[in-house]
Amino acid sequence: MPERDNNSLTFKLVYYGPAQSGKTTNLLRLHDLLAPELKGELMTMETKDDRTLFFDLLPLGFRAPSGLLLKFRLFTVPGQVAHDGTRKAVLSRADGIVFVADSDRAQETNNGESFQSMAENCHRVGLDFEQLPLVVEFNKCDLPTAVPESEIRERWSSAPWPLVFTVAINGTGVEAAFETLLRAVYRRHADSLELATVHDLSEDAFVVGALGRK
Amino acid sequence: MSDTGFDHEWHLSELLDTHSLSRVGPALGELLGGDVAVLDHDETLLCGLLAPDARREPVILELEPIGFVASRTASPATLSAGARMLTAVLRAELRFKMASTLHLEAVAEDFESLKREHARLLESEARYRRLSEELEARVQAQVAELEERQQMLYEAEKLASVGQLAAGMAHEINNPLGFVRSNLSTFKTYLGKFAELKGRLAEGEVAWQALDLDFLLEDGDDLLTESASGIDRIARIVSDLKSFSNIDRPTDEYADLNNCLRHAASVMETQLPPGISLTLDLLPLPSMVCLPGHLNQLFFNLIRNAVQAIQDANRPGVVRISSFADDDGITIRVHDDGKGMSAEQCARAFQPFYTTRTVGMGAGLGLTTARNIVLAHSGRIDIESTPNVGTTVTICFPTTT
Repeated sequence: MPERDNNSLTFKLVYYGPAQSGKTTNLLRLHDLLAPELKGELMTMETKDDRTLFFDLLPLGFRAPSGLLLKFRLFTVPGQVAHDGTRKAVLSRADGIVFVADSDRAQETNNGESFQSMAENCHRVGLDFEQLPLVVEFNKCDLPTAVPESEIRERWSSAPWPLVFTVAINGTGVEAAFETLLRAVYRRHADSLELATVHDLSEDAFVVGALGRK
Repeated sequence: MSDTGFDHEWHLSELLDTHSLSRVGPALGELLGGDVAVLDHDETLLCGLLAPDARREPVILELEPIGFVASRTASPATLSAGARMLTAVLRAELRFKMASTLHLEAVAEDFESLKREHARLLESEARYRRLSEELEARVQAQVAELEERQQMLYEAEKLASVGQLAAGMAHEINNPLGFVRSNLSTFKTYLGKFAELKGRLAEGEVAWQALDLDFLLEDGDDLLTESASGIDRIARIVSDLKSFSNIDRPTDEYADLNNCLRHAASVMETQLPPGISLTLDLLPLPSMVCLPGHLNQLFFNLIRNAVQAIQDANRPGVVRISSFADDDGITIRVHDDGKGMSAEQCARAFQPFYTTRTVGMGAGLGLTTARNIVLAHSGRIDIESTPNVGTTVTICFPTTT
C-alpha cells in the first residue's frame, strides 16, 4: 500500500529486469523528459562499468487539487544475478513494477529467468503478485536482432499485463511505459485512497500531474 | 514506507548526528559570518542559535525540504551557497546511509535464503537417509528370502537324492526277497512230501523212491542255502545304508575317508547299469575330523554323477575312485571316461541351479551341495574335463597336525 504521511502519499515504483536491459536508462530519460511540479535529482549508484550496484532513485511529485502531495519514488534494482538479496530488499514495499525486458532474441532466457525470479521475490517479500500493477516493457526493440513485436504480442497474448515497446536510449516509449504503470496504479488504489472522491483527482489528472504535461 | 527500511524518508537528524553537526555547524557559521542555525523539517533547532529575524534557506534532497539553514547576518547569496553546501554534504551522507542500510537488508535477505536453502537441504538429506535405510532393509529382507528359498531347494535336492537312493534300495531288497519267498514256498511243498512219507512208512524203501525224496533233500538244502545268502544280501544293504546315512552319528568324529568311499561305492554298486563298473584304488589315509554322513553323501553324489556321465555317453565305461595322502593332505579323485564337459560348462559347474539336464531331472544343485560340504571341511574341489573323453573331480582336504 502507498505510504500515507500527514498530507502526502508516496508510491514506490520499481523498474525490474535482467542485467543491462536498460532500467537505469529508463530513469535517466524520464528525468530528462518529465516536468512534474516537483522533480528531484536522479540518485544513481553505479560502479565504474555502469552496472547498478544498489539502486537508482528518481523522485517525482505533484499536488492534488485537495492539497494532497503525491510523491512517486522510482527505483531500479541491480540486474546482475548475484544481487538477488538486494533486488528483494529494493522490491519490498513496491506499489507497482515496470519489468524491463531485453528484446534481443539472445536474451530471451535471461528475460524468462528474471521474470520468474521477480514473481518469486514478490511472494517472498509479501507482495500480492496477482494484484500488483505491472507493465512489461520490451526495450531495445530497434535492434536488428530484436524479436519482432508481433511475435512477442502473440506469445504474451494470454498474459494479463500490458506490453510496451521502447528504445530507452533515445527515449522512445519510456514515457508511455511509465504512463501505463501510472494508470494501473491509479485503478488499483484510487478507491481505497479516495483519490477521485476526496482529492478531486481523476485518472487523467493523476497521469498528467505525474508526467507534468497537458 | 517503513520507518527503518533503506527507502524510508530520511530526516536531517538521522543523516547528521549531533557529533557531525558539532563539526559542520560551526564551520558553516564561520563561512556565513558567525550567525547560523540548522533546523529540522519541522523547524526543530538542531544546532546554532536561531535569531527571530533570521532568513531561511530550505535544504532539499528529494522533493520537499528536509531542513533549513537560517542566518541573520549572511547575505541571501551567501546563505544560499551555505544551504547548497549543506545539501551536498547531506546528499553524500544520504547515499551512504541508503546504500549501507540496503546492504544490511540484502545480507539479511541472503542469509534468510541460505537458511531456507539449508533447511531444505537438511530435509532432503533426511529424506534420502530414510530412503536408503528403507532400501537397505528391503535388500536385506530379499536376501534373507533368497537364502531361505535356496536352503529349501538344497533340502529338496537332498530329499530327491535320498528318494532316488531309496528307490534303488527297494529294488535291491525286493530281488532277494522275491527268491527267498519263492524258495521257502517250494520248501514248504517238500515238507508236505515228508509228511506223506509218514503214512507210507510200511512200504519202506519203495515209498522213499516213489516220493523222490533224495532229490527233495538235495534241492531243499540248496533252497535254504540260497535263501540264507539272499537274507545276507539284504542285511548287507541295510548295513551299508545305515552307515551311509550315519543315522546314529550326527556329529563330528574321526573317520577314515576310505571307509566313506567304500560305503558310497557299495551303495552305488547295487544300482550300476550294465556295462559300467567301479574300481577303487585307495591308499591308506590318516583319520580326519569330519561329518561322515555328509562326506558319504558327497562321494555318493560324485560317483553318481560319474556313472551318469558314462550313461550319457552311451557306451560302457569305468569310474575310477582313488585316494592318497601326502604332506599337503588328503587327495581324492573320482574319474570317469564318460561324456565330459565343455570349458563353459566346466566354468559354471559349481553355480547353483546350473544344470544340463532337462527340467525335472535335477535342480542343478548337486555340485553346489558338494562344494558346500567340501568348504565346510576346509577343503578344495576342482573339476577338469575334456568333452567326450571324461571328467576328473579332485578334492583336497588339508590334514591338521
